[in-house]
Amino acid sequence: MRKILSPRVRGYRQDFLKIAQVYPVPYLTGGSESSCVVFNLDTMEAPPVTMMPVTGGTINMMEYLLQGSVLDHSLESLIHRLRGLCDNMEPETFLDHEMVFLLKGQQASPFVLRARRSMDRAGAPWHLRYLGQPEMGDKNRHALVRNCVDIATSENLTDFLMEMGFRMDHEFVAKGHLFRKGIMKIMVYKIFRILVPGNTDSTEALSLSYLVELSVVAPAGQDVVSDDMKNFAEQLKPLVHLEKIDPKRLM
Amino acid sequence: MQREEKQLEASLDALLSQVADLKNSLGSFICKLENEYGRLTWPSVLDSFALLSGQLNTLNKVLKHEKTPLFRNQVIIPLVLSPDRDEDLMRQTEGRVPVFSHEVVPDHLRTKPDPEVEEQEKQLTTDAARIGADAAQKQIQSLNKMCSNLLEKISKEERESESGGLRPNKQTFNPTDTNALVAAVAFGKGLSNWRPSGSSGPGQPGQPGAGTILAGTSGLQQVQMAGAPSQQQPMLSGVQMAQAGQPGKMPSGIKTNIKSASMHPYQRVLSQDGGCYELVPRDDEARRSPDPGLPSDGVPLANDLHPPDLRVLRSVTWASHHG
Repeated sequence: MRKILSPRVRGYRQDFLKIAQVYPVPYLTGGSESSCVVFNLDTMEAPPVTMMPVTGGTINMMEYLLQGSVLDHSLESLIHRLRGLCDNMEPETFLDHEMVFLLKGQQASPFVLRARRSMDRAGAPWHLRYLGQPEMGDKNRHALVRNCVDIATSENLTDFLMEMGFRMDHEFVAKGHLFRKGIMKIMVYKIFRILVPGNTDSTEALSLSYLVELSVVAPAGQDVVSDDMKNFAEQLKPLVHLEKIDPKRLM
Repeated sequence: MQREEKQLEASLDALLSQVADLKNSLGSFICKLENEYGRLTWPSVLDSFALLSGQLNTLNKVLKHEKTPLFRNQVIIPLVLSPDRDEDLMRQTEGRVPVFSHEVVPDHLRTKPDPEVEEQEKQLTTDAARIGADAAQKQIQSLNKMCSNLLEKISKEERESESGGLRPNKQTFNPTDTNALVAAVAFGKGLSNWRPSGSSGPGQPGQPGAGTILAGTSGLQQVQMAGAPSQQQPMLSGVQMAQAGQPGKMPSGIKTNIKSASMHPYQRVLSQDGGCYELVPRDDEARRSPDPGLPSDGVPLANDLHPPDLRVLRSVTWASHHG
């Protein structure tokens, strides 16, 4: 239970809030050090607003997403094409175990958090992610846009979430490849169903295809990102059709 | 009379030019066959034939032209036959007919085919007449139909063989699979074993959702997973970390949710213990007031790895651990 850390809490010698609380105080970003909300619990004061500038735009990070799939036998050609198109790095593979936690409140829609851990990299931190509802309305926007909050945590994340009242809804194992091009991230992975809850060794593949995701995490309001994504997606046709798929349609 | 003569002459000229063209193309075809026999390809032979047939067609058209008088009514009678060389004739026939003599005339001025050919033609016409008009029509129609069928088959085969090379490539993705995978990642359709996902209905745990899910091949996949080499590369989350903008400020959705979570039965356990800390304050004011669990001296955190709520949570777990 020791290390629930946010990536940029540094330098402020004040207590900071519990993760669960939200202040209507505007974000205070103190230079390069900190970008968290601070509130001095002894003196009950916020630092004077004049001292720290409020920089807008980095408050809400949005995830722009395009998804598609590729059949197993065409995976190799897709990987080759991606190696050519993307930044020149060693090909990266990953094996992750993701668990999705729900908090059922009095409202109809439960609150969803996604916890992910790496199964093939020892010592890597756990990853906690919140994804909001996709923003609707703009037909010109080529990608699915939703609010996104990412945090790295320690290994006791599941215990913490259970204590908070979350219950695990489902889990799966994702195994695949990761590519990057600038700020765009392309993941090609296969989803494995876990047959015995908690036992990541007994898995079976969900389908004969790999899921392909092109995503960008960027501040809100930068719709030019979706144009870049669309241009990149064009280059992967006709192998893969990356498009914005509304999950609500598939319910 | 004058007009007819003029017409005759004009048509004769046209006929002559056509026949000359035909002769030339025939000659070149023969040359091609004789000289380039080794390298001749079927398409080029077909080209020559097409040329010849085109020229024959125009010849026919010229003959059927309305302005052409019926040549059938004209008769060519040799007036003088001599065994001497005729220079004029030589010039006109390009050296082919040097002498207008008894041997030349029957061949060149012939109006009927050979007797054998005549016999065969007569036989064919009698056969055709014997069948009868209706039967002949039917035969003509069936022949036409068979030809058109054959043509269709050939053209279809040609089209298919062209696109046949492309077709395997087209099936590089399956839209059903895409939907299934996206649904699985978005809300766990087809993934949860012990708690059925919404669409698969209650009381059906562990059943596959979308139609493309494999069954019974778990052994193979297990082996593949276990055999996956682990590599020394930055993790997926590491990438996302670099891109994440900010830390603990959660969107306001959490506020209401956690607030309602205060109705969690667990909460009551805590307060009953008395002196145990509240996990979540119940209303706005409580949020702003200092947490009773925090150390009262407000010791600044020397180490941001021990935020106060961790201590809270630690004692909470203590309390909840029943022995």
